[in-house]
Amino acid sequence: MARIELQNVEKRWGAVVGVRDVDLDIADEELVVFLGPSGCGKTTTMRMIAGLEDPSEGEIRMDGEVMNEVDARDRDVAMVFQGYALYPNMTIYENIRFPLRMRDVPKADQDRLIREAAAMVELEDYLDRKPGALSGGQRQRAALARAIVRKPQVFLMDEPLSNLDAKLRQAMRVQIKHLQRQLRITTVYVTHDQIEAMTLADRIVVMAGGSIQQIGTPDQIYRDPANTFVAGFIGSPPMNLIEGRVEGGTFSAPGISVPGLSHAEGRAVTLGVRPEDCHVAEGAAHLTGHVYGIEPTGDMTYLTVKAGDKLIEVKADRDFRADLDTPQGVTFDMDRLYLFAGESGERIR
Amino acid sequence: MTDTPLRDVGPAAAAGPASQIRRRRSRRMKALFPYLLVAPAVIYLLGITLYPGIYAIIQSFHAVKFGPWQPVGFDNYVRLMGDYQFWGALWNTFVIGSISLTLQCVLALILAFYAYRDPWVQGWRIVFLVPMLFMPSAVAFIYKLSFLDARVFSDLLQRIGLIDGNLAIQSSVWGSRALLILADVWQWTPFLFIIFVAALQGQDEEVEEAARLDGASWFSIFWNISLPLMKPVIAVALILRGIDITTMFTNVFIITKGGPAFGTETISYFIYRTGFKFFNFGYASAASVVMLILTIIIAQVVVKRAFVSARN
Ligand SMILES: Nc1ncnc2c1ncn2[C@@H]1O[C@H](COP(=O)(O)OP(=O)(O)O)[C@@H](O)[C@H]1O
Ligand SMILES: [Mg+2]
Repeated sequence: MARIELQNVEKRWGAVVGVRDVDLDIADEELVVFLGPSGCGKTTTMRMIAGLEDPSEGEIRMDGEVMNEVDARDRDVAMVFQGYALYPNMTIYENIRFPLRMRDVPKADQDRLIREAAAMVELEDYLDRKPGALSGGQRQRAALARAIVRKPQVFLMDEPLSNLDAKLRQAMRVQIKHLQRQLRITTVYVTHDQIEAMTLADRIVVMAGGSIQQIGTPDQIYRDPANTFVAGFIGSPPMNLIEGRVEGGTFSAPGISVPGLSHAEGRAVTLGVRPEDCHVAEGAAHLTGHVYGIEPTGDMTYLTVKAGDKLIEVKADRDFRADLDTPQGVTFDMDRLYLFAGESGERIR
Repeated sequence: MTDTPLRDVGPAAAAGPASQIRRRRSRRMKALFPYLLVAPAVIYLLGITLYPGIYAIIQSFHAVKFGPWQPVGFDNYVRLMGDYQFWGALWNTFVIGSISLTLQCVLALILAFYAYRDPWVQGWRIVFLVPMLFMPSAVAFIYKLSFLDARVFSDLLQRIGLIDGNLAIQSSVWGSRALLILADVWQWTPFLFIIFVAALQGQDEEVEEAARLDGASWFSIFWNISLPLMKPVIAVALILRGIDITTMFTNVFIITKGGPAFGTETISYFIYRTGFKFFNFGYASAASVVMLILTIIIAQVVVKRAFVSARN
């Protein structure tokens, strides 16, 4: 069982900075998700925890012990790679057995452990196939089985579901979360998919441009975003972000006027409001514009309203219908509004 | 080639008859061009391999001294089967070839695995090719001078006090064989090294990293993962080198002349001696044909086994 601490960790390749200033404390048995767009340093951070990459600065500790100089093979960390990294020349059985063989697990126990691990991911029927003869989902599960078979201190998973179709992805998500709870192993999970992050994580670490933007539970990240990046990255569709000014306690932008925002007086700000906190208005409204698009999905209707040159997403009632280009008012939930500083994008509280 | 008249079929281009003629000619030229480009190579290849090959097969069914060819059916082949010098040469070729091939392959594999992620090695790969770039006969002479005639090697060992008197490599069958093996290993290990480095660099790095996290040492990664994945490449390299070694001639001709006591006479040297010393061309051709058939069979078996096991 392991607690992982990263302190001021930085990774550079010459002038290229992959990751900077990472401070993170992962509790024992916690499932932490690194979330961010491609190229933001998620894989690099994970590889440093695994020992496949040496940090240029800072310290990585496991259970208080500094790991910087410890070789990857001595860290007792299991990783599921984005491309699975199964051994193509071995059968699935041999693949799962490999970590046991390398760690001198007695032969007598090996077979039982392999079959247990294979059963957990429902792969018993494929043990004598080679990876080349399996589908993406099956390879995925084989990689998982190989990782769990030796009960490591830490689990690392790098976008393990990114190659699967939507249905399988959802099934595997549930399976991974269940396995993690059952085995009680500290887990770091990397993804660029916010739904995956929200559903799996105990805590989410949102990253962008090589540094951490915010750390928090899925609820905190969703309800209390620290800056415009986090606000705009989480949620589907994402939060509406409207640039404007606050004068005399009123936020204004073309077609938009929201009174009662005195705490950012005289500043250029970005107003954030989630589509589900926007409501279709009949009379007086915070926003007046024209219907730009309307997308009924059955259980709700996505309404896009154009105000000035800004497109605002609204989650409307499933019965809502309107013709394109007709005038449309929208009101905002006043206690669910977010203000961010215009320049830095940091939250104004 | 100018492609404006080819592409442009608008009214402007179709205006004059001159441009139409030019277009037709360039189109025929275009179809012919690739063949013209490869023609010299094909003619050259057919000229130096196919023609002499067929010539040798026909010749092997004749008694050929200096006069006209006398058809003798399978006589040359029958005689060959009972010729202890032919069998001796086959055996020498096998012994020298297999030891040399094993050594250079193992050596190249170890070096390649040790070096392939090293940025220095990646940048300076060409340096490792140098032994291959020397003219083979020059290499052979260097070995002859160092170990036999001028005895540089013996002299050096004497000076540092390791031996008394000269090493009599010439008079020992195994000493001479060892010398041929040494020369071949020195000259050709780099070739295999380059091929193996390329194969290793082409392997998925993540697979190797997964093995490291699974607790594998460098050696177990090499033994359990890299080596099995390299099987087809090793097979191809061994075939190329194997064919080359089976026809080993230059070093034998220059360094040992097949001696002592025919102990280093390879098949190629046997054929040379039969043909150009005893001028028994029909007989030499028959030996060549036998060797060709043997080489094809062995290569076929190796290729088949290597590729089948890699696929499943
Ligand atoms: N070996 C390397 N050399 C140079 N730059 C690298 C290397 N590995 C990653 N990077 C850079 O570091 C940044 C972060 O990469 P990565 O951690 O793989 O991103 P993510 O996994 O979040 O998509 C990227 O800009 C990438 O180009
Ligand atoms: Mg990545």
